Amino acid sequence: MTVPGGPASAGGPAVRCRSLGVSFGAVRALHGVSLDLAPGRIHALVGQNGAGKTTLAKVLGGLQAPDAGDVHIAGRKLPSGDVRAARAAGLAMVHQHFSLPPSFTVAEALELTAARPGGRSVYRRAELHQRWQDDVAEIGGEAVLSTRIRDLPVETRQSLEIMRALATEARVLVLDEPTALLAPAAIDALFERLRRLRDGGVTVLVVLHKLREVAAVADTVSVLRDGELALGPIEMSEVSQGRLSDAIVGPASQADRAVGVEAATGTERRTLLELVRVSSRESAFEPGLRDVDLRVEAGEIVGIAGVEGNGQRSLVSVIAGLDVAAEGTVLIGGADATRAPPAGRRLRGLRLVPFDRNSEGISRRAPLWLNQSALRLVERRRRRLPLISLRQYKQQAAMEMDQWRVRYDAVTQPAESLSGGNVQRLILSRELAPGLEVLVAAQPTRGLDFAATDFVRRSLRGLRDAGAGVLLVSSDLDELFENSDRLHVMYGGRIVARFEAPYDRRAVGDAMTGARR
Amino acid sequence: MTGSLQRVASTLLLVGVSFLLTTLILWASGYRVSEVFSGVIEGSLTATGAATSSIRWAIPLLLIGLGVVIGFRAGFFNIGGQGQFYVGACCALVVSLGWRDGPAPLVVLCGTAAAIMAGSAWSLLPGYLRVRFGTDEVLTTLMMNFIGALVLQYLTAGPMRNPSGTGQTAASERIPEAFRITDGSGVSATALLLVGGVAVLVWLLLERTRFGLTIVLVGRNPTMARWQGIDVRRVGLVTFALSGALAGLAGAVELYGPGARLVTGFSPEVGFTAVVVALVGLLSVWGTAAAAIFFGGLQSAILFLPIVTDLPPPALVLLHGMVALLVTVKFRSVRWRRPGSPAEALTA
Amino acid sequence: MEQILATTLRSAAPLVLVATAGVFAFRAGIFHLGLEGLMITGAFTTVAVGEATGSVELGILAAIGVCMALSAVYWWVIGPLGANVIIAGLGLTSVGLGGTAFALGAIFDRRGSMFTDVVLPRPVSGTTSGPGVIVSEHSILVWITPLIVLAAWIVLRRSRFGLRMTAAGEYPFAARTAGVNPSIVRLQALLIAGGLCALGGAELSVGALHNFTENMTNGRGFIAFVAVIFGAWHPIGAAFAGLFFGFADAIGIQSQINITERVPREFVLMIPFVLTIFAVWLGGLWRRRSLEAEAGYAELREPDY
Repeated sequence: MTVPGGPASAGGPAVRCRSLGVSFGAVRALHGVSLDLAPGRIHALVGQNGAGKTTLAKVLGGLQAPDAGDVHIAGRKLPSGDVRAARAAGLAMVHQHFSLPPSFTVAEALELTAARPGGRSVYRRAELHQRWQDDVAEIGGEAVLSTRIRDLPVETRQSLEIMRALATEARVLVLDEPTALLAPAAIDALFERLRRLRDGGVTVLVVLHKLREVAAVADTVSVLRDGELALGPIEMSEVSQGRLSDAIVGPASQADRAVGVEAATGTERRTLLELVRVSSRESAFEPGLRDVDLRVEAGEIVGIAGVEGNGQRSLVSVIAGLDVAAEGTVLIGGADATRAPPAGRRLRGLRLVPFDRNSEGISRRAPLWLNQSALRLVERRRRRLPLISLRQYKQQAAMEMDQWRVRYDAVTQPAESLSGGNVQRLILSRELAPGLEVLVAAQPTRGLDFAATDFVRRSLRGLRDAGAGVLLVSSDLDELFENSDRLHVMYGGRIVARFEAPYDRRAVGDAMTGARR
Repeated sequence: MTGSLQRVASTLLLVGVSFLLTTLILWASGYRVSEVFSGVIEGSLTATGAATSSIRWAIPLLLIGLGVVIGFRAGFFNIGGQGQFYVGACCALVVSLGWRDGPAPLVVLCGTAAAIMAGSAWSLLPGYLRVRFGTDEVLTTLMMNFIGALVLQYLTAGPMRNPSGTGQTAASERIPEAFRITDGSGVSATALLLVGGVAVLVWLLLERTRFGLTIVLVGRNPTMARWQGIDVRRVGLVTFALSGALAGLAGAVELYGPGARLVTGFSPEVGFTAVVVALVGLLSVWGTAAAAIFFGGLQSAILFLPIVTDLPPPALVLLHGMVALLVTVKFRSVRWRRPGSPAEALTA
Repeated sequence: MEQILATTLRSAAPLVLVATAGVFAFRAGIFHLGLEGLMITGAFTTVAVGEATGSVELGILAAIGVCMALSAVYWWVIGPLGANVIIAGLGLTSVGLGGTAFALGAIFDRRGSMFTDVVLPRPVSGTTSGPGVIVSEHSILVWITPLIVLAAWIVLRRSRFGLRMTAAGEYPFAARTAGVNPSIVRLQALLIAGGLCALGGAELSVGALHNFTENMTNGRGFIAFVAVIFGAWHPIGAAFAGLFFGFADAIGIQSQINITERVPREFVLMIPFVLTIFAVWLGGLWRRRSLEAEAGYAELREPDY
């Protein structure tokens, strides 16, 4: 095996980062990160969402030019932000998101992305297939070469991404959250593969966010927090689980007091949201619902757990009215809402915190006040004149945002100028206004820092204590365990298991992976 | 607040650059810049009848431009103003010539209503395809323009043709004088009241009703609007219908006002110019009004007093093209310096 | 019948050339509505430079140069300057239409149109009857159009360059991970498109005819763009779509001679536009299905932080 990056200086680190800094506008994604990775080992990089892990990986891969600092591979400095140079130096990257164009065939995608020498700039199909047939042996052989990427199952796509990275005979392999979409068995296979690579002399840097996975595969671990290195590369044997957790979360921050919500209803056990044997059409990337029965009563938080892509999105869409239930009944506030349009459901007190706050929760380019006022646009209030006062709208929006302590300069600034935590506060200030009966919160804390996460969770609990019903959809088990009164697990579009507190982590985990039906 | 000021300033700057480029071309072609400028000012303002003529040309630009404002605000690239304008004028013509003995106010009302409905219908077909099937509205509205132009050509060269016409281009018969709301100058109290009233109504709709705010939300982020319970399809259909209605109305005003008859391929650039006008007006009602008067003045100078200005009509098309090419430029490359970051919305 | 086929080829050649240009732009992710403007610029420049130098080759070379320069400006405006692709494209079309008409007056002191002696060679000519009519009287550009389409197919579907271009248009993130700068690839695509538009325009003015007329493209640039969509942005597909629109055009021309009495000519002329709406609708349905299959990728298009 040749070493494309030239001989590594003996004993020196395989990868050396020196005081890397990256900023996106006002957001500081990385700051002063210096990191040495010893050759031939598996290094894990952990941290909360938004801690800068992906940004660091992108800097290493040459996809992101750092504002400050530099990267050395095997003792040689990389030109900043140059994918090809990083490749030529022997560094390959597997991205968190798929990096292959969906309409390409496997052979075309490999030819596009793998910088393997040889091959002509004009080719024939057969020639191309011949060139790559050995590489695809383990994902289905030659037949797969003419399959389009978008028709491949998720695991195969992921294997292909790794294969593509290795096709360049990399000496350093960077994987950004490779386990996010994989089933447990596939994760084990992936880790086994990483170990084999390490034994073959490859240096591996793998971004993970589950400590269990870190313990399973890593030789050393590094922690990023708020864009800074909180814990240097340290041998796994020298670090305790507790110390790692502390490094990830950071010192307990000044806790925000959650805002109490006025009780919209009494505290009697009233069913606010009910799904009776609901099925829905599957979408292209998620199964539809299959015979889902679900009840949310006043004064409780019902958690929905599951590996992402098991119908959670369909569930929330059907409740919101964005998707129609093919069979079964949806009741909101005790009344049949199966055919009600989204606006009608909103009028009955349904409130939503959508999955992706930046695309579904707010309009990034619309001003803050309009984002805050969105729900007031659909309410059906009779007036003599249809005219409204913008000033009144802005004042009310400002008042409600102040109440939720959204930090902003002017109500007219675009929503994209807010940080993630502030965006979520903005959404809460809109959705948790009086009139709320039942809230569906989908991944409400994803990507938020510790303080914001804590704030959101307190708000949800406050809501419950005030007598509202909450359906909490999350992929964070700890969040679900801490906050849910009852917990359902979704798998393949069905609710496969129902739990009551206290929860058994193993049992829930088995249900999530389909091990228990 | 500073944000909108910045936008006004950058738009003015970009329009200025477009003018500068066009002036450079004129200068290189041997025109004396000072003469061109004084000619334009004379032909749009100071010469006898010039100011009136500027208003006359501003009226269709404003009406169609307001339709563009509504469509673009909702995020729909309805560039079919030209075709909607034509079929509106055609329907008003059919009503007026078909019922030429009727009581004038009634006929004009019916004709105008027909024009508005025809314009909406012409716009609703692409609109329906867009909201129901996701069919790209840029191409369909563009095609509807070509078809509208052929409808006009058919009418003026066929059934409605003035048999005694001698000109090279076919023209329809004239409508009875009693139906007209202006004289040949195209400006009268009635016309101004009508157009002013429409502008105020559109302003109220966009800036002072919940529907106006809804349009903005849908235009900015339809996904979020859907999550908020807004019926995006309905908003889309209504905005398409309104855009078409305004362009159709412009057609009626053209017929009952300065035109009195229709000529094959009249005002061929008005639909596209209205898009430029709306963009230069930053999709605000009063900005569009100001831009309409400005571009109306230019049009007047070049079409109304060609001898004074000595500029051929294509120079105007060239100028409009320059403005369109540049007016949507965003000065953000300074702030977002990322290696190889392409504008994401490159495909529609 | 032979006459119709001959007219089809003549009408289709410029459409196919410009549609091929559109395929390049579309593959690179650009909804290029400036094709019409580039086409007429090509038509005019060929005539203008051809008249000035007496050489049709120089005329065509100059047309290619001018159209590429305009394409580079267009790229600069929509890429680095972030202008709206559609509005700027329509602006480019107006600049072309207005600019050529204006230049016609400013340079040659003509209004409307001008005749030229400079024409492209016609490999086969003089046949007046029999099947030979089909191939007779076509300019050399009509003859090499199939070769250009074939070359486009090889470049787009069988070369690394084509893979990079398609990736840049379909999924810029993929292009960037492959070390490709999508912006530069778009420039390359636009330059190629500019050159092809110049050829399409030249065929119109000095291939099929002997003159340049204001607005002589008459919407062909837009129809060519539609052919791109009709042909599923595949070079061969777009070429056949262009051929089909050329056929519709030929029928229209023939019907003007034959059936004017029964069907008004305007309605015949509407056919391509009506078909186009139909095609865009169908194409949209098809495209949406494949987009839905790729829905999971929507969120992966780079977050613009």
